[in-house]
Amino acid sequence: MFSWDASINRVHQLAEKSTPARELLVFYATVLATQKEIYESLRTKRDWLPSGVLENDLSVLREHVPFFLKSVLSVAPPALVEQADARDELLFEYWENRSDKLFFPKAFLQPYAQWSVQSGVFSKHTSTPENRCPYCFGKPQLSVLRVTESGSESGNRHLLCATCLSSWEFRRVVCASCSEEHPFKLQYFKSDEYDHVRIETCESCKQYVKGIDLTRLGLAVPVVDDVATAALDLWAIEKGYAKIELNLVGL
Amino acid sequence: MEVSRRTFIKTTIVGGVGVSAFGFSLAPIYAQARGLKIDRTTETRSTCPYCSVSCGVIIHTIGDKAKNVTPQVVHVEGDPDHPINRGTLCPKGSSLEQEIMNERRLLKPQVRRPGSDHWEDISWDDAFNEIGRWVKKTRDETFVEKDEKGFTVNRCEGIGWIGGCTDTNELNYLAVKAMRSMGVCYFETQARV
Repeated sequence: MFSWDASINRVHQLAEKSTPARELLVFYATVLATQKEIYESLRTKRDWLPSGVLENDLSVLREHVPFFLKSVLSVAPPALVEQADARDELLFEYWENRSDKLFFPKAFLQPYAQWSVQSGVFSKHTSTPENRCPYCFGKPQLSVLRVTESGSESGNRHLLCATCLSSWEFRRVVCASCSEEHPFKLQYFKSDEYDHVRIETCESCKQYVKGIDLTRLGLAVPVVDDVATAALDLWAIEKGYAKIELNLVGL
Repeated sequence: MEVSRRTFIKTTIVGGVGVSAFGFSLAPIYAQARGLKIDRTTETRSTCPYCSVSCGVIIHTIGDKAKNVTPQVVHVEGDPDHPINRGTLCPKGSSLEQEIMNERRLLKPQVRRPGSDHWEDISWDDAFNEIGRWVKKTRDETFVEKDEKGFTVNRCEGIGWIGGCTDTNELNYLAVKAMRSMGVCYFETQARV
């Protein structure tokens, strides 16, 4: 289950090391802290709960836009500063299309989407395609292996939603994008440098999702370790694979 | 013009020095990526061969479908999606990788002579011939054509067969035909346990 505090602790822990991904981690630390403040503000707002309809909740959400933009723009690279825009139209566009190219709407709405799930407004649907979030219909950001069966050492696979940060069960040995099941079409790439992280590719759709194996490193936080292992994304891109969903640093 | 996903990502990384989709410099990360040693594995679902519970397993293999490379199993784990075991494995199933990869696997027939304290290598041909002679001798000496009540039973009571759980259906079929045709009654397999 996603935790803002665990994510913030992890990003600071990894950012303290002088790694090639340090610049990304420092930026992401600010994004997480900003998102957490928005989430807490929504969660503790008196006499208000999300309605489940973005249009109805915008008046509350807009109050946080200036703070969000100011925080993120203070650490954003110039190219991202040029894109700075969290107007209503863009928020609707993201909510409708869930495009990972729209950094500001995606980052801004994640706390709202998460609170909408946790408060019970977004309930779990049973008829959603297996590769989409059953709560908010978001795309999978990451694949996560964790043990859920007592006595087992094997990791059950979950997908983490790019929009609401919820996770749902998903089968092993299946493409998270096109549902390909032939084992020879599905390949797993990893490096000794990151024993708990792998690139899960599909030769049918040429897409990949990054897999975080919590059975190998229980202290990992998937969204943070995804950013920290950016080198694996570059490797996958050079090999011709496209990530199902870019993360908040654009990889 | 709508930019496709693959174009959007690839055009922002050119020649090893580029920026991410949101403008972060990727030069140091690209340098790291070039130095990574990447292993490729495949995962294949299968069934544990040991007992009739038939637990699901996932076999991790390096080198599948690669040219001039012999695929090698590197890990076997319980299949968490399998309804029977849900990822758990007993000690025998947990050591399946050893059954495949252990260097002490028997790769040739061996025989231990009566009173001997060690195993000796024996060729396949010699093993076939010796087994054939012993089977015929034992059957000839222990065959029971009629029981004590005079009924024709045609039993070979001096030979027993113990099968293993990794024996295939095809092998078991042949074993049943061969043994029953000789009159062998003591026929059992560990897989039934």
